[in-house]
Amino acid sequence: MTKAMTLLEMLDVVRTFVQQPATQNVWVTAEVQDVQVRGGHCYMEMLQKDDAGRQQARVRGCIWASNYARIARSFYNATGQQFASGLKVMVRVSASFHPVFGISLVINEVNPEFTMGDLLRRRNEILRRLQAEGVLEMNRQLRWPLVPQRIAVVSAPGAAGYGDFINQLYTNPSHLRFTTRLYPAVMQGASAPQSVIAALMAVADDAPLWDGVVIIRGGGATSDLQAFEDYELAATVAQFPLPVAIGIGHERDVTVLDYVANARLKTPTAVAEWLIGCGESVLGAVNNLGARILQAATDRISGNRQQLAQATGLLPALARGAVERARARLGNATGLLSGVSGRLIHPQLERLGMTGRALATATATQLQRRRDSIDAAERLLAALSPQATLLRGYSITRVGGKAITSPDDIPAGTILETTLASGTLLSVKK
Amino acid sequence: MKEIKEMSYNEAVAELEQILRTMQGDQCDIDRLATLTRRATELIAECRARLTATDEELRTILAGMQE
Repeated sequence: MTKAMTLLEMLDVVRTFVQQPATQNVWVTAEVQDVQVRGGHCYMEMLQKDDAGRQQARVRGCIWASNYARIARSFYNATGQQFASGLKVMVRVSASFHPVFGISLVINEVNPEFTMGDLLRRRNEILRRLQAEGVLEMNRQLRWPLVPQRIAVVSAPGAAGYGDFINQLYTNPSHLRFTTRLYPAVMQGASAPQSVIAALMAVADDAPLWDGVVIIRGGGATSDLQAFEDYELAATVAQFPLPVAIGIGHERDVTVLDYVANARLKTPTAVAEWLIGCGESVLGAVNNLGARILQAATDRISGNRQQLAQATGLLPALARGAVERARARLGNATGLLSGVSGRLIHPQLERLGMTGRALATATATQLQRRRDSIDAAERLLAALSPQATLLRGYSITRVGGKAITSPDDIPAGTILETTLASGTLLSVKK
Repeated sequence: MKEIKEMSYNEAVAELEQILRTMQGDQCDIDRLATLTRRATELIAECRARLTATDEELRTILAGMQE
């Protein structure tokens, strides 16, 4: 009768072949999928794919709880990433064979630098592609309004991150007014990018309602941000018509979205604080304007009041001063006037006096001259008058008052009137 | 002057700044001061009202959120 081994005996033999020194503590590179933590142990699938994405090798992997906490922490510290599905890793493994569970690789160390390099390479690939397409900077160049108040929220309903965000926003101490609406999306796992893209498309349909959109989720312990390193999602965010703010993780989580979104913040709470900050600075500016206007008004009023008080105080003195000045001016004018009369009037008067005297002299001279010429004329007249001729013996004979110079034409009997130097002689013609 | 309710936020702030400049300038006489101050007060009240919600509004919003 042929001797047979039990299955367990057979698999024990297999195990001795599997668990050879050559399969212990070997550095291996692989992609990890379906990473889950159960009972402190971390289980996953380890894969290798060809360029077309076809699986070429696949095996189960695990990190026992005794190593997992340390490895997870140092991995996160070095890469800013959780040890999660979708990563390419370099791990030190020992092949293990279990009669029930079969072959698996037990990971006892991880080289984070390899993953970092790979992540960076992949992210840079996405960024280069967006750059080449000319869309990389598009969302970053959009401007939030001065006060973003109408916010579309893409997040997972019921998630702690969403609750924190809403709570923070609506209990802000300045009572800033916000309007929000949740556009629900799956924020974890492989379906996250397509789900977020769908939610963004719904926001885009309502674009006029919103000032901007925030994509938020709390950074849980099992967060696999790897899902967000997605070209389609990055391209959608980059070309989104409204400014996008991202808050999808903890301090060290960085995804390609942080490079394309308009505002990159760490957590949902940080996004809320940033929005509140925008509003508060504008509110502060308004309050400041108000205070300065009040100050200007107060200054102006007190300035006017002071001016008035000063004027009131000055008024009597001003009046007295004015009267005195007027009087002084009058005195001055009088003095000046006498000076002026001295200087101007006296010469005039003098000239007037001289003229008077000259006039008198001239008049007397003229009078004398006239008188002399009259005397001469009188003498001439006396010499030429008929009386002088009559005295010398001549006479004048008139007929009817008319002197006659010839006896002809005088009829006989005519009465002749002859004037002599002293008397008249009447005679009759013969 | 434009109705305050019809002004955009930026227009309101621009007018406030203009009022401040007028008040600080030499050309502002005491007669205009009361008018300017009243207008400024109304503008500020409107700006604040647009930015902030009353307690009552906030309570309504938060109550809506918790449903």
